[in-house]
Amino acid sequence: MENENDRQSEIWAVGGGKGGTGKTFVICQLATCLASKGKRVILIDTDLGAANVHTFFGIKKREKSITNFFEGKQDLENLIIKTKIKNLAIIPGKNDTTSFSTIKHTQKLKLLRQIKGLTADYILLDLGGGTNLDIIDIFLLADRLILVTIPEITAVENLYQFIKSAFFRKLKSLFADCGLKDTAKDIWHNKQEHGINTIVDLLDYLKKISGDKRDFLSKGLSDFYFNIILNKVRNIREVQEGFSVKSICVKYIGVNARYAGYIEYDNQFWKNLSLIQSSPMFIVSHTTKNDVVKIADNIINGGQLKIDSIKNV
Amino acid sequence: MDNKNNNKYFEILELTSDASLSEIKYAYLHLKKLYSSQSPVLSPLIDEIPKEKRDELLKQIEEAYKKLTRDYLSEKTEKEARTRYRVVHKSIPEFEVFSGNALKLMREVLGVDLEEISLATGIPLEHLKNIEREKFDLLPPKGYLRIYIMKYAEYISLDPKRVVEDYMKAVNKKKGKPSPHRF
Repeated sequence: MENENDRQSEIWAVGGGKGGTGKTFVICQLATCLASKGKRVILIDTDLGAANVHTFFGIKKREKSITNFFEGKQDLENLIIKTKIKNLAIIPGKNDTTSFSTIKHTQKLKLLRQIKGLTADYILLDLGGGTNLDIIDIFLLADRLILVTIPEITAVENLYQFIKSAFFRKLKSLFADCGLKDTAKDIWHNKQEHGINTIVDLLDYLKKISGDKRDFLSKGLSDFYFNIILNKVRNIREVQEGFSVKSICVKYIGVNARYAGYIEYDNQFWKNLSLIQSSPMFIVSHTTKNDVVKIADNIINGGQLKIDSIKNV
Repeated sequence: MDNKNNNKYFEILELTSDASLSEIKYAYLHLKKLYSSQSPVLSPLIDEIPKEKRDELLKQIEEAYKKLTRDYLSEKTEKEARTRYRVVHKSIPEFEVFSGNALKLMREVLGVDLEEISLATGIPLEHLKNIEREKFDLLPPKGYLRIYIMKYAEYISLDPKRVVEDYMKAVNKKKGKPSPHRF
């Protein structure tokens, strides 16, 4: 059994609340980067309403898509399509009316089980925008939780929303696991009495009263963190916002976060995108590739951008 | 370094315990700016966090920075003492009088730059430069100057009282002379 676990693939998921921040662009980049390291990568487009992973890899016709899975016709492993990039395969989405809200709970469980069953070194999940619980449940399934945002106040606002929802969801299951569910609920309902304002206060309080469960709680949270990526960055001040967002997660929301890195805005890429016929991944600039390599390394190693490194940007 | 206690401070500055002095500095400056301003990044959550909590955060950040830089420096001084101190003794006989130049020499031996001292002590960089160069005319009033010199001396592990005494003597001597433009 342990051997089997060793061979299991690592799951990365990209979320972030707001649409238009470049989640799909970033995860396609990360997938390409991992594949170029010689790792077998499967990228699954679970953005059901607005799928476009296939477009980034220049795939126009999709004979099969994840919709086939939801229709109950195919297993996930039969829906894999090769790309022009070595080691990189995708399971495309389809732009149809299917959405997670119409998907049955049993189907979701089956999806999660089959994702884990795929053979690859890395399985990357592209999630849709928004913060509904179905998206968050798939997100939390991953071993590496990646958030993409841009230095715009609306995007950051949605990001906090997403982080809070995901974190609360995580806490809920953690509390349930260590039998603190009702206690936590009671305390939260009477929070004024206990002088509790935020989730940070609640955690501190719980750690104090639940002697033996404290370690379980601490352990469950010690490995839990978000990797933040700032996309479409134009200057140093914007690069620094990544540190601000990270700090606010840690100090205000009470969840661990690491600033995995940033990607500079590449005007030329978006200009060229409409002109080319083949895979857009082939026209990515050297700068972008470099940014992505650094981010991928940080995510793999649990590292983050050093705050004194950006003065040389 | 006393790691157990310092872990708490590294955590406050959101650093790992192997952070360099430069990381400590940048983290401190960044966090201080973030939580003392109306940063747009903060605005979506501003209603949820009372001002007292932010003030408390700023206090912790300040404390962590002071503690970490002090320990970093004392550890560094110890290391220097083991490896380079002999060299130091050869090249700098002894400070008989603590002049601006003596401060500069000691600082360079420790490998500390003026920016760092300015950050750590809050003394404006320009004043530090003028203290070292003994540009007495450009120095701040004596009350401030005394405090600056004590802070500076303390930071580079010199006896603040002795340094101030020596330095102020030199200042008084020079300032005691009538200024040339009066003639």
